[in-house]
Amino acid sequence: MEKREIDSQMTQLEKEFGIAENSISYEMRDGILILDGNLDNWQLAVDFCHKAVKIPGVRNLVNHIETPERKRPAPVDLEPYKKKGVLASTDVLIIGGGITGCAAARTLSKYDLKILVVEKESDICEGTTKANNGMVHSGYDSKPGSLKALCNVEGNAMYTQWAKELGFHFNRTGSFVCGFNEEDMKTIQRLYENGAKNKVPGIEVIDGRRAREIEPGLSDEIIGALWTPSAGYAEPYEVALALAENAIDNGAEFMLNTVVLGILREGNQAAGVVTEQGVIEAKVIINAAGLYADEIAEMAGDEFYSIHPRRGTLVIFDKENKGKIHTFAGKAPSNYTKGGGPQETPAGTLLWGPSAKEVSDKEDLGVDQDDLDFVIEKGLELTKNISKDTVITYFSGNRAATYQEDFVIENSKVLQGFIHAAGIQSPGFAAAPAIAKRVEKLFLELWPEAPAKQDFNPIRTHKKSFRECPPEEQREMIQKNPAYGKVICRCETVTEGEILDAIHGKIPARTVDAVKRRTRAGMGRCQSGFCGSRVVEILARELGISPNQVTLKGKGSEILKEPTRQGGEQK
Amino acid sequence: MRKAELVVIGGGPAGMAAAVKARELGIRDIILLERDSHLGGILQQCIHDGFGLHRFGKQLSGCSYAQIFIDEVRKGGIQVECNTMVLDITEEKVIRAANDEKGLMEIQAEVVILAMGCRERTRPQVRILGTRPAGVLTAGAVQRYINMEGWKPGTRAVILGSGDIGLIMARRMTLEGISVEGVYEVMENLGGLRRNKAQCLDDYQIPLHLSTTVVRVHGKRRLEGVTVAKVGADRKPISGTERYIPCDLLVLSVGLIPENELSRKAGIILDAVTKGPVVDDRMMTSIPGIFAAGNVGAVFDLVDYVSQTGEQAAMGAYQYLKEGQKEEAEQEVTAGKNVSFVFPQKFSPGREEKADFYLRVKKTMKNATVRVWCGEKMIYQKKTAFATPPEMVALQVPLAEAQEGPITIDVE
Repeated sequence: MEKREIDSQMTQLEKEFGIAENSISYEMRDGILILDGNLDNWQLAVDFCHKAVKIPGVRNLVNHIETPERKRPAPVDLEPYKKKGVLASTDVLIIGGGITGCAAARTLSKYDLKILVVEKESDICEGTTKANNGMVHSGYDSKPGSLKALCNVEGNAMYTQWAKELGFHFNRTGSFVCGFNEEDMKTIQRLYENGAKNKVPGIEVIDGRRAREIEPGLSDEIIGALWTPSAGYAEPYEVALALAENAIDNGAEFMLNTVVLGILREGNQAAGVVTEQGVIEAKVIINAAGLYADEIAEMAGDEFYSIHPRRGTLVIFDKENKGKIHTFAGKAPSNYTKGGGPQETPAGTLLWGPSAKEVSDKEDLGVDQDDLDFVIEKGLELTKNISKDTVITYFSGNRAATYQEDFVIENSKVLQGFIHAAGIQSPGFAAAPAIAKRVEKLFLELWPEAPAKQDFNPIRTHKKSFRECPPEEQREMIQKNPAYGKVICRCETVTEGEILDAIHGKIPARTVDAVKRRTRAGMGRCQSGFCGSRVVEILARELGISPNQVTLKGKGSEILKEPTRQGGEQK
Repeated sequence: MRKAELVVIGGGPAGMAAAVKARELGIRDIILLERDSHLGGILQQCIHDGFGLHRFGKQLSGCSYAQIFIDEVRKGGIQVECNTMVLDITEEKVIRAANDEKGLMEIQAEVVILAMGCRERTRPQVRILGTRPAGVLTAGAVQRYINMEGWKPGTRAVILGSGDIGLIMARRMTLEGISVEGVYEVMENLGGLRRNKAQCLDDYQIPLHLSTTVVRVHGKRRLEGVTVAKVGADRKPISGTERYIPCDLLVLSVGLIPENELSRKAGIILDAVTKGPVVDDRMMTSIPGIFAAGNVGAVFDLVDYVSQTGEQAAMGAYQYLKEGQKEEAEQEVTAGKNVSFVFPQKFSPGREEKADFYLRVKKTMKNATVRVWCGEKMIYQKKTAFATPPEMVALQVPLAEAQEGPITIDVE
């Protein structure tokens, strides 16, 4: 597109948004629109970018606009970190231990190469993945032909095999989009046509009666629904952990608490990364950094998208609601994201949400009143016989969205050996197997002669949890190891044996939250009121540290400060 | 399968009192199951005094109070299984429990006394917004860390809730050098006992802010501060009254809920107000032969009453064993004017000469009269100089005249 034409489109946009002419400057590079300037608030900047990315000829958008809430981070001087020397050398370096990074590691571990995943937090899936609602979407709503649509339908189908090989809980429950009036039914018809184009298996529009036959817990006010039987549900952190463990079984390595500060290159070839601990040499780098993927891309000199965090709040209910609803139910959509609705997790927990709200800070995981109201009101409308007084907790996570609102899965055009797996927002969890497959394909373009690993084992072995075992097996478990006879978490029936397994697992749980994600200790109705101090005690004992060194979720989140006058012993 | 005449679930004040009394009455085969490593329940961490005034006529620490019963349990030679979590109870009174020594246990009990106590309400239940950093703990958890584990979970604290545990912890933290910025209470009245306010807040110049609550938590990894706000009559925050308080510890003392996971699994009918099992004047639940004692039935503010209900449950269990299966009590005991609940909720006319009832009033009243009605007839009355929701009212009501209709209790 001509510069003149873009000029006029931008001027038009500035008018539309009521902002002074030329207050936003732009640069267009190979279909990438780079915006700069200042605006009054973050939501305005996001709305502006969402419009600008639709200018014909724009492939994606980089947002350098500053607002009072968000300033661009200052560049880091890499020299002192480089001086720390070489920490490790690897063939493939994956940045980010979320679902995307873990899936890439597991998929590439079938090649006889050194694979290393670096994660900035103290555990895997500490970012977007941990607060995902676990929906394995059927794929009816993504734009036909988009990467989202392709990867979603393909990824969804692959979940059956993944669950079998990796041994995680997966229920193909199906999902509804519910209509309360004719207007909703028109939207549902549009979604149906969209889903049919995306080749969603078994998709159909059904009436309210049939919907309630499938899911008796649905509201009697629902007149019709889009039904996609292929949708399912899994626990995102369970899936990510299963992938990571299987990758480790096949030789991959993980480094936690490792923050990437810069990308190293030799000519136009990726050569490694600089971390806070020193240099890691690598031949291929995969950017699976989630919310930070844009910053990693910028480090690689290949910034062509920006991530704008879109926060979603989830609400968890008491288990007394178990069985009241089994199937995911959503409402006819309105926004950039379809938003979630009521569903039951594989553990039998009722979960509502998420909501959707643009936030300026990638680490802003707060919950506001309007987030809660949105999720709860929507859930109450869709269901019956569920009291909002039975809420036991709520929390937020941020989706890693680009302005183009599609995945970015491609080889870098400027840095050889650098793969982008970015913009992985909803339905990223459902799409994860297909995203990994695409990453593998891109990797083979870079490394066609990658040797297959002869003894690659796709099966992950793991122990069933105590509460899931029939009494005979429970008896046996305790006989073999008495720690399984000691129940630490009352609400979720989690034993000390399982907590020890988590602490000494392949990705060792080093924090209270990491123990919680692996075992469910603290997820129940008392929200760790009873087991919290016991988990701290076990972690301190097993890690050989003082209790006040035990953290909730990594450095800076210590739970205890100092000994009392006659109290604890500092190590 | 192991058989037992009586299994008591929970070795706190209610369970110990029940087991001791049952032994005294002559029940021989008793098993007391406790999830913690020691008997005593929450009293283990209650090192402050004020326990036992009604029962022993003196002020004991929680630990000393518990020790009296622990000694009795030992003396009675009652079988105690500590570190033992009950996994479930069936309607047929089969108890499945596990510990690390004996493994999985199955016990067929003739009678069961539930004495699991209560748990604390949590942050999401009072709808505090914001982030989820370390440094937000329930008062009971803080008490455990400080009194049992010897660790301080913060240096500058805000307390939400003026219930007894919140007040006690205000003093305890102050003594440990944690600065307590204030106690915030969403209601317009104090939530705990008046004596605790005098001894724990006033003596240490800790301010109490009524009709004020914590609306938001700040800090990503560790708590950095909280926002408090005044609330209106609807208990909703009033916009414009927000105030930010830097702190690294938020202590929640926002109420207790009877712990009835096992009761619910067994199919026992629960009361919507007390959140505990509906029981009769012998403390029997809706399943004949399963009794409830102490805070599992309704949350008490004095341990003396908790022990008393344990003994009542033991007597009920004894009668049950002696007489075989008795039908459920048929008459209701209901909360009348100005009463939020009455415990127990049922009785059998003509069975006992008298019964103990516990109730909470809905509002603070001076020079009020408690009246017990059986149908149109007043069968008992008692004057009380001061009645307030945090302070439970206990009555011993003669039942001679309660021959037919349901009982209603009013306070005016």
